[in-house]
Amino acid sequence: MAEKWPTVTKDSFDGSKVEILGETYEPGKPGPEAPGLWRNKLQDRKQMLKYLETGLRYWYAKEGYGSEKRKNPA
Amino acid sequence: MDSALVIEIVDHHGRDPDRLMEIIRDLRLHQYDLPDPVIEQVAERLGLALDQVRAAAVAPILKKRGRPKGKKNKPKLISEPKPKVSVAPRVILRKRPKPEPSLETAAESRPPVPAEAEEPAPTPPAPPPATEEKIAPPAIAAVSEPPMPERRAEVDSTRRYPEMTEPKRSADPTVGPLLEKAKQDGAETAFDRAMEGQKAICQYGANGVCCRLCAMGPCRISLKEGKGAERGVCGATANTIAARNFCRMIAAGAAAHSDHARAVADTFILAAKGEIPGFQIKDEQKLYQLALDLGIAIGDRSVKEIAIEVGEKCLAEFGRQEGELLLVKRAPLKRQEIWRKLGMTPRGIDREVVEMMHRTHMGVDQDYRNLILQGSRTSLADGWGGSMISTELQDIMFGTPQPIASEINLGVLKADEVNIIVHGHEPLLSEMVVVASRDPELLAFAKEKGAKGINLAGICCTANEILMRHGIPIAGNFLQQELAIVTGAVDAMVVDVQCIMENLAEISKCYHTKLITTNYRAKIIGAEHIQFEEHDAINTAKKIVRTAIENYPRRDPKKVSIPQEKSDMVVGFSHETINYLLGGLFRASYRPLNDNIINGRIRGIAGVVGCNNVRTEHDSAHLAMIKELLKNDVIVLTTGCAAMACGKAGLLTPEAAKQYCGPGLAEVCETVGIPPVLHMGACVDNSRILIAATAVVKEGGLGDDISDLPAAGAAPEWMSEKAIAIGQYFVASGVFTVFGVTFPIMGAPQVRDHLFSELEGMVGGKWAFEPDPVKGAKLMIEHIDKKRKALGIDKARERVLYDMAMRREME
Repeated sequence: MAEKWPTVTKDSFDGSKVEILGETYEPGKPGPEAPGLWRNKLQDRKQMLKYLETGLRYWYAKEGYGSEKRKNPA
Repeated sequence: MDSALVIEIVDHHGRDPDRLMEIIRDLRLHQYDLPDPVIEQVAERLGLALDQVRAAAVAPILKKRGRPKGKKNKPKLISEPKPKVSVAPRVILRKRPKPEPSLETAAESRPPVPAEAEEPAPTPPAPPPATEEKIAPPAIAAVSEPPMPERRAEVDSTRRYPEMTEPKRSADPTVGPLLEKAKQDGAETAFDRAMEGQKAICQYGANGVCCRLCAMGPCRISLKEGKGAERGVCGATANTIAARNFCRMIAAGAAAHSDHARAVADTFILAAKGEIPGFQIKDEQKLYQLALDLGIAIGDRSVKEIAIEVGEKCLAEFGRQEGELLLVKRAPLKRQEIWRKLGMTPRGIDREVVEMMHRTHMGVDQDYRNLILQGSRTSLADGWGGSMISTELQDIMFGTPQPIASEINLGVLKADEVNIIVHGHEPLLSEMVVVASRDPELLAFAKEKGAKGINLAGICCTANEILMRHGIPIAGNFLQQELAIVTGAVDAMVVDVQCIMENLAEISKCYHTKLITTNYRAKIIGAEHIQFEEHDAINTAKKIVRTAIENYPRRDPKKVSIPQEKSDMVVGFSHETINYLLGGLFRASYRPLNDNIINGRIRGIAGVVGCNNVRTEHDSAHLAMIKELLKNDVIVLTTGCAAMACGKAGLLTPEAAKQYCGPGLAEVCETVGIPPVLHMGACVDNSRILIAATAVVKEGGLGDDISDLPAAGAAPEWMSEKAIAIGQYFVASGVFTVFGVTFPIMGAPQVRDHLFSELEGMVGGKWAFEPDPVKGAKLMIEHIDKKRKALGIDKARERVLYDMAMRREME
């Protein structure tokens, strides 16, 4: 692997050193295509409302969950 | 002299032998040469030796004010007795216990008080302490105030802010050379004014103990224990005065954000109705999101119908008279309960601001705790009301920010193009200027005038708004507004509202720049006014761009000097985008962030926001604080001018993670591909930070409330009243918040105790003041560690994989 891809050495959970895949991105600036424009992926009302129920579920899902809905309140 | 008058004056000073000089001074206001019977009476009443009182009675009196220039060290003798005035003890009506020796020592080590507060010359040898029976009880005492000894202990640490002895420049390399250029061009900047006309900081104002609420004053409360006035003419204490001043700052800040929101809501309704060409509903999904928050049915209704109802409901929040602001429901449930219990939940935006102004009027609310309570309510009406409405409606009209690359610093100006700078806070017009700057007809006109194109850049939060949505580059932050003109390359500076220096009009005269005001609420003498008309927004914008192009040939090439410096940055991290980036479209979630906080890779979250302040080195405090936080694995959310400082220093790129972060945070940032400092927008977009914090709470595993999170906030270079409003709504939302530079309540010990400590027991958040940014960062990290400990995530835990047998055993 080391021959083809860059690697970096990191500490594992047990304290040992492990070699893992390093940076693989190409240097440079993003082009004009603006790949981060993720909201365009939500095309119609159904998808938009569905995303609210999943992505922002704690506010907009009927069955929200999370720390505020747990069995044993803190 | 009447013996009753003598008794009254002595008693008004608490029959305190330590205050002999003050008593003598007040007596001599009535009769300059005190006769023997009066001296005997005073000696008897104070239990002092006759000779001691006699010596004091002939000592020279220092004139308190209006000392002639050049005779600072020469006490001026008052040669004539003052005219008789009515009995009138001048001020002090309280018992003053004798200080502990240690406090005396501390008092001696304090820096000198301002000249105006100096008191009569050397006191005679200390008399024996007065017994309890001899001391009259305090004539006036605020019911809610702790006893005086506490106050005395606190006063010793009041601050004296240093005079500027040398110019504070900047961490930004463009600033120094441009200041030199300004000097050569005869242009004056804020950096000069801070060193010349405004060199000395008014200690009373900076410490919050100057009251100018009525015409009996202005009154100033002494910053030095035992010297000078402890109450205003009406009897207001330092605590009342400072709390009122502080609350008025909150009201002004909340009003600024909220009036911005009102303008946006007005435009939004017109846009929804289709009455203003150029504006539209760009983010339909965000519209549905807000509609759900406001309890508006979606069903099969048209976008237009929903949008009109959303706009009208938002506008109604300003005039709401009872109940709760609707967006408060977004906060964690526990937080909402805390607010309700304390009576802190805001009712209507305008109502809270108006009530705050009423309660800080002369002679209304005179309990600092009660004032701060309303201050919190007002600030919440900003954070969870006005500011949040601005953010949401702007997102719907102009688009929710998504990651976008751009550039920052004065190097974005172009020598061969028409440079237009938009500056201020409301993006309504600037959005249209963006469109106009790309208009083919205007581009052709620019070429006709000899320019290669039209280059639009921004300053302050208007810049942040169009940066986040269109990637328009930023020329600089607050303290660079004058310097942008000093480059000689700005053909028009277009301003809307807030943080606009009046001197722009003056400095424009040194160059060819046209200063154009666009909002009827913010005109400047010497500027050209082109009113922004919503109904004809695009034509207003075109007119402005055309004016800039026409001005281009007037540019003097000899005066043009554009710095080379500019930096790349990636911005656009709205709460929705962070949520998306952490999980993708189908698993959007803050879970990875929470997990990495729990496992310790990320130590905590910090919001570092706010302005620039010429009293501290430009950008320097932001950068020092943020670098210290990153080094300690604290991820940073930023807005406003703080975000711009980060951009200029290269902290808003993913590559910065490797360079500046601790190993844990760097690993997370590299994995997700985000910068370690996330630019979340303009100063109204601090509401995005509130929602992000709420999302972290709701995701679970880090407590039930914002105050449980290992998180802290800061504004190390704050300057405006808006910053105080923001700070207060963060504190009232449960966030530990550190401010730098100066802090406007330091002359009021009990208010300071309340804000710096007592509030934590009430709302979970509290203030701190630390001018040293690295020390400020350490306070934040200390707080983060405290919260980690409380959550039980301060130590690594053994990782055990449970097999089925172990699980059965548990049951």
